[in-house]
Amino acid sequence: MSVAQVEAREVQLEAPSGLWSDAWRRLKHNPAAIVGFALVGIFLSIAIFAPWIAPEDPRSGDLSRLGGACCPGPSADYWFGLDQQGRDVFSRIVYGARYSLLIGIVSVSVGLSVGLVFGSIAGYFGGWIDSIIMRMTDIMLSVPGLLLAIGIVAALGQGLWQIMVAVGVTQIPIFTRLLRGSILATREADYVLAARSVGVPRRLILSAHILPNSISPVIVQGTLALATAIIDVAALGFLGLGPQDPATPEWGTMLTDTTRYLQTAPHLALIPGVAIVISVLGFNLIGDGLREALDPRFRGRG
Amino acid sequence: MDRQALLSVEDLRVEFWTERGTIYAVNGVSFDIAAGETLGIVGESGCGKSVTSLAILGILSRAGRVVGGSATFEGRDLIGLSDDELRTIRGKDIAMIFQDPMTSLNPVLTIGRQIREALETHFGMDRKQANKRAGELLDRVGIPSANARLRDYPHQFSGGMRQRAMIAMALACEPKLIIADEPTTALDVTIQAQILNLLRELVRERDTALILITHDLGVVAGMCERVNVMYAGMFMETGSAVQVFARPRHPYTVGLLQSVPRLDAVRKTALNPIEGNPRDMLQPPQFCPFAPRCRYEVEASRQEVPPLEQIEPGHKVACFNPVPAEEWQRMKDAVVAR
Repeated sequence: MSVAQVEAREVQLEAPSGLWSDAWRRLKHNPAAIVGFALVGIFLSIAIFAPWIAPEDPRSGDLSRLGGACCPGPSADYWFGLDQQGRDVFSRIVYGARYSLLIGIVSVSVGLSVGLVFGSIAGYFGGWIDSIIMRMTDIMLSVPGLLLAIGIVAALGQGLWQIMVAVGVTQIPIFTRLLRGSILATREADYVLAARSVGVPRRLILSAHILPNSISPVIVQGTLALATAIIDVAALGFLGLGPQDPATPEWGTMLTDTTRYLQTAPHLALIPGVAIVISVLGFNLIGDGLREALDPRFRGRG
Repeated sequence: MDRQALLSVEDLRVEFWTERGTIYAVNGVSFDIAAGETLGIVGESGCGKSVTSLAILGILSRAGRVVGGSATFEGRDLIGLSDDELRTIRGKDIAMIFQDPMTSLNPVLTIGRQIREALETHFGMDRKQANKRAGELLDRVGIPSANARLRDYPHQFSGGMRQRAMIAMALACEPKLIIADEPTTALDVTIQAQILNLLRELVRERDTALILITHDLGVVAGMCERVNVMYAGMFMETGSAVQVFARPRHPYTVGLLQSVPRLDAVRKTALNPIEGNPRDMLQPPQFCPFAPRCRYEVEASRQEVPPLEQIEPGHKVACFNPVPAEEWQRMKDAVVAR
């Protein structure tokens, strides 16, 4: 490289700035995160374009197609085979992505937004408010998440939005605790003291100085929580607490419905299982990549 | 003091309530500072230097409480004021420069945004005006192509540039008093000199009062008219820079001066550190806090706290058995002279 080229390169390296563009630059160089983005990208597009991808109606099947045996494996006509009711498994998986995604996003949004509010209050104001909020989260965390979700579904009744609420509520204490801890650390930062010494009003200190510097672990947790939510929803479905309509192509419900055929047609359980694993893996890889990319210790490098 | 005091601190006491017990951080400190004056507060780590300044501005951490004394600024006692009232003074009338420019700037906000903050808070400037003024300030503290660099983030600045940016923030509202808490400690020596020169110029330009808090005796000697030597939350010796450095009378001051390497020493003489550890601050001082480490202690030193008493005009020492006036000169000669 000539000197001019080296200089041009340096200029280019220095040009973009800011927390997010920095993080994005590092994320692009992380192969695991790229794989994660690819998996999630596929997952998202399948969910969005389900009606165009799925060859058949996922809800109604044709028992006559089974030909007396359960159940035909993958073939050219039915890529993932047929299930015990003669429904096309591929179509069910494709539509199932919609449910997982919808429930995942809604429940994480519930957990995240409520957790953000409680976490900021506890972290910034401290004192007795902090004690009360933290004891509540301790109580919630002492109950296993899935058990709590089962309890909430049992109390609210079965159904799609009940599942979202149940999974969302189990996520609240994690976000609350995470943000509180992060704010506690940031609150004592020198730049917060410096901002106070300049006379910046309290709410501005919280919104402009403390929150933006505390939020990155919460964002990382958000992507990881999406993965957990997908698993929790599948687990609820597996335990028979899935959506009310048994024909709903939800991955966890599909797993339960096929346990009886495990010996004769293992692919019926394997395929939704793989779908769950892949989508969860995708979100986990992105989450891990984000965690590295947003780590302030790596800032200004890469 | 012939000039009228801008800030007058009287018997300031600060405690921290922690799980380990009460920490008596500042135990009755008094000083005056007038416009245009530069005052030094020297002492080792943890002696209460920084806490004093944070207490004056009312930005102690939660555990800290001012338990006594007053800090009168332009006729108003800052200690009793509410946070809202103090906020109108902080940054506008009294500004602070912090020790570590690496951590004292918010990493997610641009430099310009952080300088604008004070202007927008105190003068209600709109973004455009504030930006123009921020550019002028950055230019004034010696940052090249200042207007373009307003959009930079702190990590794109070097340590010296960040400290300049911090100074620009402190200067934003043209405060009457600047408190600089170890402004050069985190910087390398060549940058230190530049920053100190800049501070000196700026203070002279606008007749600003400057409180310089540091453990670096060299910095104090070069910058300050008056010096306070602090130990265990109390002033041990106060006086003009000449008095304190040429005729130190308190054993602690002498110890501090002795532990500084001298370039004019003839042979390689071993440094003379002060023996022992700084005082544990979990007890209020009941006798001279320096006595356990002191070579000059007398019986009274272990019985009561020595009062700060005048030994020559403008020169006060808190000691029952001050070091003889010629002692330091003799010690110095012993090292320098052949």
